[in-house]
Amino acid sequence: MSDWTLCIDFGTAYSKAAVAPTGAWSHFDPATIRPLMLSAEGQNTFLLDSAIFVDEDRVLFGRAALNEADAQADAKRSALRSFKTLLSVSDLDRALNTNAPATIDPHRIFQMRDLIVLYLAYLLASIDRALLADPILAQGGILRRRYAAPAWRSGDSAGMHNVIVRLFAEAEAFRTTVGKRLLSPEGLSLRTISDALPKALESAEMLEMGLVFEATAAAAYTSVGLEGAGSHLIVVDMGAGTTDIAALARLGARTIELPEARVTLKQAGDFLDRVIANRVLESAKWARRPEERAELWSVLMRQMADIKEAIMADGRATLRNQGRSISLSLREVEKDEDFRDFQKSLRQAYDHSLAVVRDDARARGRSEVQAIAVGGGASTPLIQDLIRRKMESTRPRVIPRPATPDWAHAREFRGNLAPVFPQLAIAIGGALAPDSMLAARGGIIPPANDRSDIPVERD
Amino acid sequence: MPAGEKAERPKSGTAKKSAARKRAAQRVSLTDALAEAAWSEADAALAQALADFDEAETASTKGERKDAIERLGQSLSRAARKRGLSRSGELEKHVTFDAGEHDLNAAVAKTPKTVRIQARGVTRGGEVLAKPRVAPVERKKRT
Repeated sequence: MSDWTLCIDFGTAYSKAAVAPTGAWSHFDPATIRPLMLSAEGQNTFLLDSAIFVDEDRVLFGRAALNEADAQADAKRSALRSFKTLLSVSDLDRALNTNAPATIDPHRIFQMRDLIVLYLAYLLASIDRALLADPILAQGGILRRRYAAPAWRSGDSAGMHNVIVRLFAEAEAFRTTVGKRLLSPEGLSLRTISDALPKALESAEMLEMGLVFEATAAAAYTSVGLEGAGSHLIVVDMGAGTTDIAALARLGARTIELPEARVTLKQAGDFLDRVIANRVLESAKWARRPEERAELWSVLMRQMADIKEAIMADGRATLRNQGRSISLSLREVEKDEDFRDFQKSLRQAYDHSLAVVRDDARARGRSEVQAIAVGGGASTPLIQDLIRRKMESTRPRVIPRPATPDWAHAREFRGNLAPVFPQLAIAIGGALAPDSMLAARGGIIPPANDRSDIPVERD
Repeated sequence: MPAGEKAERPKSGTAKKSAARKRAAQRVSLTDALAEAAWSEADAALAQALADFDEAETASTKGERKDAIERLGQSLSRAARKRGLSRSGELEKHVTFDAGEHDLNAAVAKTPKTVRIQARGVTRGGEVLAKPRVAPVERKKRT
């Protein structure tokens, strides 16, 4: 029986979790990594839809919530998603105590906090089911839990740790009360919830849970097992809504973030989608009437993930609409004024962050900075060109790391981990990171672990 | 079991084994689940490629055929990416021939020194799945 570390990654669209043996950081064997099969439905069992839907007399979770929301879309009903965005706001307490809007909760009985606790309980129950279904993990052992969160959003993630752990504790208490009913495809009745939730909120006991920054998790999966892993890292994370840049320094056993290097740009994947769609609309001379343009826009948005991927990876995408063939090249996208502005801001932001991390590395007598790209935009030429740019001064050297680490291609996985690695990366990295890389532990924030006011010294 | 009801006792060890088998059957292997997840999106791209191929075959004009072939290439590239495959080499590039690294796509009497890449190679991680296909560079004829 081994001891294990579990990391939960709250994605905007999906939640993911992975388990690694405790101590994997110092004795790394890729075959011991266990991504968890959280979802009982769908072809990708590792992704659990982050969604909750308040129906007439019940609450549905995950895929069932999304299906029901789709079915009731005409009645202006929607599922609550984007828990991550909510948990990232600066005034978290206020956001949690806000009533859910009527489109999400027509009964007006739930606060956002209640819905998050219910979803977390569903997530914890799904994790439990996945642990029992895993032939290795089902044998038992001590399981330490942690979750991954962004370090650079509007609030102070480490400061919010106590609030988040409290939410998990309440979810755990609720899960214990209602048991397996949480995983029923029919959902939970409102009566069950109104009976059990208040008691759970009262009886919740503090959990032992760690917080690992997403940038740290990226650093962990990138540098685990590498003998020459550098001490300083710059992480560029292009998601859907924002592009975030963060820098980390490993000082002996500790990992600190360099807050002066932290930059968030409000342009990211969604912005690129709009640039591409606008370029296509401009070139589609035959679509002049508003309804034709609206129809083309909606076709483009439905296929945008594929279109964007083809443009970024192959330099060109072709699609069909109403018997017509439409093509768009990367060069045409790069000519777009908004795109060029974004490219310029991104370069400036990266240069600023890189200067901070290189200065710190130089001051500590280090010779290398590793550059890592994560998130949905990690493999785009825009980001790859950025992290591979040659620097004017040669020291400290900047070494770009691949978006998918070499170990994900290990033979044990028979070529099947690497294709899904980007989706599971943060959960895996968070499970691999040693305790010294955590931003907070057990509801208590360790002093100065996420601050860079530690005196510069060689170590 | 209701009190007093007598159950048929299975032969020694059978119950244990069948319970273990049942549990094992319920547990999907991690590699299989990873494979299914990795293939799920590639399957959709391959299905698209088959349809694009048919359109290329039945195209009535050169333009339609060109479009269909472009979309076919796009779907195949997407399927390959979803499976973690990437291409190596640059089309039409002239390189020094290396029998270990290249597949010579022509019958030649003498091993060429310089070749041009006709088809890029395909790799996954560090593993080469298909070498780049090359052809000898034709010397310009003197007039």
